[in-house]
This record gives sequence, C-alpha cells and structure tokens, in this order.
Amino acid sequence: MNALGTLLLFPGGLALLLVALLAEWISRKLLARLQNRVGPRWFQPLADTVKLLAKEEVIPEGVHRVLFEFLPVLSLAAVLTAALAVPLFGVVPATSYAGDLIVTVYLLSLLTLCTSLAGLITDDRYAAMGGLRVLSQLFSYEAPFLLALLGPAVAAESWQITRITAHAGSNVWMLFTQPVGFVVAVIGLMGKLELSPFDAPEAHTEIVAGSLTEYSGRGLALFRLSRNVALVVGLTLVAALYLGGVSDPLAFAVKTLALLLVITTVQALFARLRIDQTIGLWWHYGVLLALGQWFLILIGKGAA
Amino acid sequence: MTAMKIEQAWNNALAGVALWARTNSPWVLHFNTGSCNGCDIELLAALTPRYDAERLGVKLQASPRQADILICTGPVTRQARDRLLRIYEQMPEPRFVIALGSCALSCGVFHDCYNVVGPLDRFIPVDVYVPGCPPRPEAIIYGVIELLKKLHPVDVILEGGSA
Repeated sequence: MNALGTLLLFPGGLALLLVALLAEWISRKLLARLQNRVGPRWFQPLADTVKLLAKEEVIPEGVHRVLFEFLPVLSLAAVLTAALAVPLFGVVPATSYAGDLIVTVYLLSLLTLCTSLAGLITDDRYAAMGGLRVLSQLFSYEAPFLLALLGPAVAAESWQITRITAHAGSNVWMLFTQPVGFVVAVIGLMGKLELSPFDAPEAHTEIVAGSLTEYSGRGLALFRLSRNVALVVGLTLVAALYLGGVSDPLAFAVKTLALLLVITTVQALFARLRIDQTIGLWWHYGVLLALGQWFLILIGKGAA
Repeated sequence: MTAMKIEQAWNNALAGVALWARTNSPWVLHFNTGSCNGCDIELLAALTPRYDAERLGVKLQASPRQADILICTGPVTRQARDRLLRIYEQMPEPRFVIALGSCALSCGVFHDCYNVVGPLDRFIPVDVYVPGCPPRPEAIIYGVIELLKKLHPVDVILEGGSA
C-alpha cells in the first residue's frame, strides 16, 4: 500500500504531474513577464492538457498505427520511471541502486527518442525533418550533458544518485568547485528539453511543429506532459548534484525554482540557433569544456 | 436506476470539465486565404505584448492538427480554396472557424475579381464573423471571446479566470 502511494500519489505519479504542470506555468508566466506581457493564468497548462485529452485524436494515413499510439505512452512512462530514482521535492527517492544515475539519464533520453520516432513514422515531411533534427540534437548534447553529470559522480566516487547527493550535501556546493560542469549541465538540460535557443527541432517558422506535427489530442497531451515531467526531473537532478544536495525540502524547492528561473531567463535572452550551429556549439565547446573539467577533477582526485 | 443516475451525473461532470478546458484553452491557427496582409498584421498585433492574447489561453499553433480555432483572413482565391478545405479537414474535432475582416465576410474590395471564388462561408462553416478593414486587435479578441461564449450554455466563461 505504501509502495503504491509512492508510485501513484507522492512523490511520483499525481504530485509529480501537478508539479510538472506548475513548472510549465511558472516558466511560461516568467517568459511572458520578461517579454512585457501579462502571461497565462495559473491553471493554463492544466486546461491545455485536459482540452487536448478531450479532443479527437486524428490518426493520419500512412503511419504505423500501433507505434503512433504507443510512443506518447512510452515517453510518459519513461520519464515517470526516471523520476523514481531522483530526490523529487527533496524527499528520499523511491528506489536507489548502483548506477541509477546512468539509468535516469537514459530514461530521459528515451523521451527524446520517442519524440524523434514520432516524427519519423509519419508521411509528413515536416515531421520527418523535425524527427531528424531531434536526433541530430540528441547526438550533440547527450555526450556533454552526461560528462557534466559525471563530474559530481567522479567527485563522489559513486554512480548512485543518493550517494552523490549525500556527498554534495556534506561538501562545498559543486556549483563552485565545478562551475564549468554546472553550466554545461544546465545548457545540456535545455538542449534535452528543446527549449529556446535549442528549439530548432520544433521551429514553428520553419518546420510547422517539428516531429509532433501530426499529433493531435491525446498523443500531444501525453508528449507535452512528459516533457514537463522531464523538466522537473532534470531540474531536480541538476539541483541535487550541483546545488549542495538535498538538505531540507524547502531549501531544495527554492534551489530548483531558482534553476527554473535561470533556464527561463536564458530562454528569453537568446534567439533560436540553427541546427548546425547547435551541433557546432556542443562539439566545439560543450564537449571540450566538460572533458577539460573532468580531467581536472581526475587530476585533483589523484593529487589528493 | 441509481446506477443510471450516477452514470449520467458522471458524464455531465466530464462534459463540464471538457467544456471548461475547451473555453480556457483556445489554440488558434492562422490561414491567409488571399488577404492583402492587413488583417494578418492586426491578428499578429493581437498576440503581441500590448494585447497579449495568452492571458486568455490563446496560443498560435503552427500545425492544423493542434489547433482548435481556424482564423481565416481574406477572400478565398482559386488557389487557396483546395488548401483551405484541406487544412479544415486536417483539424481534429471540435473545431471552429472565425472569418476575419471584410474580405473573408464578403470578398470586400476583391469582389468579382477573376481569381476570387467567394467569401469564406461558401466553403466551410463559419462560427464567428469579425468585420472591419482591417479589424482592430480588440475586435479580434472580442470575436474569440464571442466564440467561446457560444460554446457555453450560459454566459459564465472566463469567470474567475480573468487575469
């Protein structure tokens, strides 16, 4: 019964979904305020989701029907599973095992793969283009993002999220000891979530709605939900690893929120990069910076 | 007997929730059927910071599959007719149409042009007409709100939610 509550109500399941919607609202509202607008009302993401769920789902001609219906479910399931190993809301994660950091990062990547495949299985050329861009972007940010998350893992000498957060909680914030890794992790998270300036995969002015062009109703609602959940999980992960672990839930919530504000501000500041610029940025700077940081940590570890 | 009543109440509740969501999250798709761009500029102005339609939940979508309201500007030209019908067919139910500007209503100054095949409502059902050449952004937002009011049995939309 207790395990069921953990899965369905708190901290996974319902609470996570609600917080994910709240995170979307905070992000949209802040973006609107930065653009001198009033912005959406607080229940806007909920209304959007319910409306999409109540809408007709068109299954276009020429798609693989089973995959078309299964991919949104799989992506939501993947991010909800990823949430089990991270310290959501600062509470102890539901599961913890050796190597769960890697599993979490790759479960988050499953969302990206599903998004890409959702574009590639349709006949629509915009969706196909979007799907290809999603994949190109995945191959560019994934390596630096993982390297940036490995920094704390190497410092804590463990692949287990709870051990890393315990190490992060008892030492100086890794934001200060590994600033480069923090920057790469935050920007990598933005790339993962396809937020501006890395939103070339769904550039509305070029390729309609990217890989989700053919999705309507339920599928779109599930994809949007999974992206919001991935946002919360990613923020939790980066905040727990880099901003001094999970001491008390309130301080952790403030840290996560601060990280969300940083991401939204960066979103408002920069215009969209072309897909080749995105890839160039990651492989020219992101990987090198993350690798350099990693070597420094290894040398520091060896010297100590 | 009671089981039926409970089922009916449940269905009513579901319909109420769906209606609430629908009236609070109108995503629009903009299609230019042959307009001179005057209405299009006004429509974009309605989405810019000064008027900010997002406070009513209005979002401009790029894909017909993801839109609820099709906003058409201009008279329907021979070239645009097939595309218009196709875009309308691509939208999922429930879908609504707003005709924007004098030309979409009656072809306006393009009346009897060789390449104009008629006003918008000759080809697809129109829910709300917004007159003007071009209509001001306030008029466009008013048109959207009139459309949302039509969905509701009673005039209570946007209540408690006005930003």
